[in-house]
Amino acid sequence: MTWRGKLLHVHIAPAASYEMEELAQAQLIAGQGIVGDRYYLGTGTYSARPDVREVTLIEAEVLDAIAQGEPRIPGFKAKLAPEDHRRNLTTRGVPLSHLVGKRFRVGETILRAARMNVPCKYIEELLGLPGLYEGLLNRSGLNCTIEVGGVIRPGDLILPIDE
Amino acid sequence: MASPRIIMKLTVTAARKEPGDVLVIDLKHPRKPVLPAFEAGSHVDVHLPEGKVRQYSLCGDPTELGRYTIAVKRENDGRGGSAWIHETIAVGSTLPVSAPRNHFALKPGEGPTLLLAGGIGITPILAMARALTRQAKPFELHYFTRSRALTPLLAAIGSDLPGGNVRIHFDDEPQTRQNIAALLANRSDDAQTYYCGPPGFMAVVGRAAQHWPEGTVHFETFQPPEFDGAPPEPFVIELAEGRVVEVSAETTALAALRAAGVPLMASCENGVCGTCECAMLAGQPIHRDAVLSKEARGHRFIPCVSRATGVLKLDL
Repeated sequence: MTWRGKLLHVHIAPAASYEMEELAQAQLIAGQGIVGDRYYLGTGTYSARPDVREVTLIEAEVLDAIAQGEPRIPGFKAKLAPEDHRRNLTTRGVPLSHLVGKRFRVGETILRAARMNVPCKYIEELLGLPGLYEGLLNRSGLNCTIEVGGVIRPGDLILPIDE
Repeated sequence: MASPRIIMKLTVTAARKEPGDVLVIDLKHPRKPVLPAFEAGSHVDVHLPEGKVRQYSLCGDPTELGRYTIAVKRENDGRGGSAWIHETIAVGSTLPVSAPRNHFALKPGEGPTLLLAGGIGITPILAMARALTRQAKPFELHYFTRSRALTPLLAAIGSDLPGGNVRIHFDDEPQTRQNIAALLANRSDDAQTYYCGPPGFMAVVGRAAQHWPEGTVHFETFQPPEFDGAPPEPFVIELAEGRVVEVSAETTALAALRAAGVPLMASCENGVCGTCECAMLAGQPIHRDAVLSKEARGHRFIPCVSRATGVLKLDL
């Protein structure tokens, strides 16, 4: 099976808890992060706990499902805008959970997926959306390192390298 | 830990000087028509350069969904935050502001409400008066200031509040003066009092309201209470996992916990905002914050300013 996906949105936040800001283009620096983002600047909530958070991705398909009321969690109803989920890249048509350990292209850059993202209670409290933590369990996206940096823009193709 | 709040880079859409060296600032979101909602009594954190954070009450109308209004008094002897705002902020400036938080909410109920403001303490009280006006609930606002020429927000009070509910007391106009103790002497059964102002005013109202039952008198201070001056002594924090963190006399519990790798959010680091609040399991705390209620002091702890004797067990 192969796939071919698309980059829908790029968001960064300048520091922990700051609202995400959408970019028309973003500069990815290999081994570091997205220029201007909290994990590039070392000002993120989890910056003091080393882990791979150079770039985080989430599937638009997950946001669609949440908007349609899936999963059904008592008391949980939410529509998560791309600037709310606090991941950097919103993708469509990319099987993120299949990519752990693999490389793939986003536009002219190459990312390597390190691990599945784990949702946090922090975002639930930050957005005031009880149930969001459970709603994102096992599908809150992917944390990646940047192997080859470059400039990316919404609309860029996302393509597999390691099948 | 108290909930984190989203920080938004808001645009200053109006900035006008008012008497008393006060800058009244309107803030809107550059992209979103609606801001996170707030109730009367709420404050926001304003994030200043070099990591400084200051709390300001929202003094606008809570039903105006797209705008926050703060009033910043220039404190030349302060820590520099208000001076920076006065010198730097103008229409078009961007100011990072947190979503609102409320430690000073109006209690539900239909009883009469007594609102007392001293000087710039008018800001949360004005929002309360707006809310009570809109709800058509009985209230009386008493605003104490030094002189008419130094009194901010008089125009807003005059235009937005029913005149019959408002009395303004100027120290230098004897016919307007009001004895605070007399105002609080007789309490009707279901009355509530809310007050905010400078330390001297807070002390006078606090004394005058001593005979009111607990839970009927509410206040907010943006300055931590005065302490006994006892020098800080070292103590020990035991984490829920069993690890032990030593807090020396020279550092704060917050700094010691962070140095030990315990991630804690903090904002004012002055004991007034509640951001670093944590759950306390056992021990003898020395509470030095201005945010925990009497009840909360039995099981919560504010590590940016509070200390302890011996071993304090925290649920971290």
